[in-house]
Amino acid sequence: MGLLSIIRKIKRKEKEMRILMVGLDNSGKTTIVLKINGEDTSVISPTLGFNIKTIKYQKYSLNIWDVGGQKTIRSYWRNYFEQTDGLVWVVDSSDVRRLDDCRMELEKLLKEERLSGASLLVFANKQDIQGALKPSEIAKKYKYYRKYSFHDIFYPRIKVPLSHSQHIISPRDWYIASLGTIP
Amino acid sequence: MKHAAMLERLSNLHRSRLQQYAARRSDSDAASPAFESVRSFLDHFSDSKRSIEAELARCRALASDPASAPNLKPELENVSASIADLDRLVAENSYFLPSYDVRSSLKAISELKEALDSANSELVPRKKFSFKNKASKKDQCILVKQIEEIKVVDAEKSNPVGVRDSPGFRNKENAVLVKCFRVSEEGEGDFSLSDLNSCEVYLKGRIRALFVHRLRNCRIFAGPVQGSILIEDVNDCLFMLASHQIRIHQARATDFYLRVRSRPIIEDSSGVRFAPYRLFYKGIDEDMKDSGLGEETGNWANVDDFKWLRAVQSPNWCLIPEEEHVGTTNASDREEQCDDE
Ligand SMILES: Nc1nc2c(ncn2[C@@H]2O[C@H](COP(=O)(O)OP(=O)(O)OP(=O)(O)O)[C@@H](O)[C@H]2O)c(=O)[nH]1
Ligand SMILES: [Mg+2]
Repeated sequence: MGLLSIIRKIKRKEKEMRILMVGLDNSGKTTIVLKINGEDTSVISPTLGFNIKTIKYQKYSLNIWDVGGQKTIRSYWRNYFEQTDGLVWVVDSSDVRRLDDCRMELEKLLKEERLSGASLLVFANKQDIQGALKPSEIAKKYKYYRKYSFHDIFYPRIKVPLSHSQHIISPRDWYIASLGTIP
Repeated sequence: MKHAAMLERLSNLHRSRLQQYAARRSDSDAASPAFESVRSFLDHFSDSKRSIEAELARCRALASDPASAPNLKPELENVSASIADLDRLVAENSYFLPSYDVRSSLKAISELKEALDSANSELVPRKKFSFKNKASKKDQCILVKQIEEIKVVDAEKSNPVGVRDSPGFRNKENAVLVKCFRVSEEGEGDFSLSDLNSCEVYLKGRIRALFVHRLRNCRIFAGPVQGSILIEDVNDCLFMLASHQIRIHQARATDFYLRVRSRPIIEDSSGVRFAPYRLFYKGIDEDMKDSGLGEETGNWANVDDFKWLRAVQSPNWCLIPEEEHVGTTNASDREEQCDDE
C-alpha cells in the first residue's frame, strides 16, 4: 500500500521534482531559493503568497515552491501538498525564542497524509549569525524525527550569505542527493 | 525569452498535472478544467464560490427539517470537499494569476471555510470534522503512527533542550539601556530586546538581526540592521529602525520611524503608524552605507497588512502626520549602559 504508491511516485517523477519550501516567516526561504537560482537577493519583501522557480539540474527539473510563512497564510500551505516530492523545512537557527513554535508547525505538517511519501529535509539556516544554534542542537530539538523513516538530514554547511563575496556550497547537489533517495 | 520558456514549461507541467489529476479521480467531471486566461479562471472561480454558498444555505435549510437531518453531515462533507477542490484549483493556477487575484481568491476561500466551520459547529454540534482527504484512508502513512508513538515516549522529556539566550536586553523596567556594537565583534551577531517596560534603548553600530518581543511603553533607537527585524507583541512604543526587512506582529498603538529596503509588513496589529527614519550618532552615515541602507527607498510608507489583503487602505495602520514627527534623535552622547552588566 504505502510502499507501492511511493514506488509509483518515483517512477512518475523521474525527471520532474516538486519541492515545497516552508517554515516560519523570516526563516530565509525566499533568500535560499533566489540564491540557488543565482538571482539578486538584495531586496526581498516578506512573501505574500508564494513564488515558483523551476531550476534545471542535470536530467531533473526542480519545481520549487516557496510559500510565505507569516501566520496568516500558514493555513494555505496545504494547498501545495498535492504531489510534493520533497519538503524542505527551513529553520532560522538564530530565532531561539520561536524554536518551539517552529517545531510545532512542522509536527502539524507531518500529520498531513497528502505529504506521505515525500522526503523531508530540515534546513538549519542562518548559520553565519554568531550565536545561532548549531545544526546538531536543532537536531536535538527535533529529535524524534531522526527515528522517522522519512529521509531527514540536517545539512550543516550551507550558508546563504548576505553579501555576494561568500560562496555557497553547491546546494543543487544537495537537493538531488537527499531527494533522490526516498526510502 | 527565458521567461516565456519558463511559463511555457509551467503550463505544460500544469496540463500534465491536470491530466494526472483527472485520471486519479473516478468521476472525471469533477476534475478541474484548464484555463487559458485570468478572466475565465475568475469566472469559474466565482461560479464555484456561488454554488458552494448556495449549498451551504441549503444545508442550513435542511437542518430546520428533522426528517432530513441525517443527510446533513454528508452534505456538509460535500461542501468541504468542494472548498478543498477550489483551494487546489487556486494553487494549481496560481502561476499565471496576478498576485492580487491570488490573494483575493485565497481570502474568499478562507471566508468559505469560516462559513462552513460555523455551519458545522451550529448544525452538527457534537462531531467536528476537518478537511481531511478521505480518499486515501488506506494509504494512510505508517510513518504518522510512528511519530505518534515516539512522541508518547518522548512526551515526558520533551522539555526544551536548555537553549541559550542570544545577546540582548531582557526583563528591565524604567531603565536607559545603551549598547555600542563594534563592527569587528558583534557586527556579525544578532540582538534581542524582550520583556522591557518603560525603557529607553539605544543600539549604536551595525547588527545582523534584531528580535523584539513583549515591550510596553518603550522608546527604541537603533542603528542599521543588515538582515531582518522581527517584532512581536509591543504596546505604546516608539521605534526608530533601519533594516533590510521588518516584520511587525501584534503591535498596538505604536509609532515606527523606518528605513527599509523591502516592504515592511504588519500582522495582527492595530493603531500603528509610520514615518521616515531620523536617527543620528557619530558615524551613522558610514554604518548605514556599509549595511546597504545608505539610500532612502521610501518603503517606510509601503506597508503590507497581512490581515488586510485588499486593495483599499488597511484600517490598522496609517502615516504619522508630519507635524507630529519627533525631530532627529541625536544619540551621539549615549554611553554603553545596562543596569546589571
Ligand atoms: N545572516 C543571514 N541572514 C539570512 C540568511 N538567510 C536569510 N537571511 C535573512 O533573513 C531575512 C528573511 O529572509 P526571507 O528569505 O525573506 O525569509 P522567508 O522565509 O522567505 O520569509 P517569509 O516570506 O515571510 O515566509 C532576510 O533579511 C534575509 O536577508 C542567512 O543564511 N544568514
Ligand atoms: Mg519569503
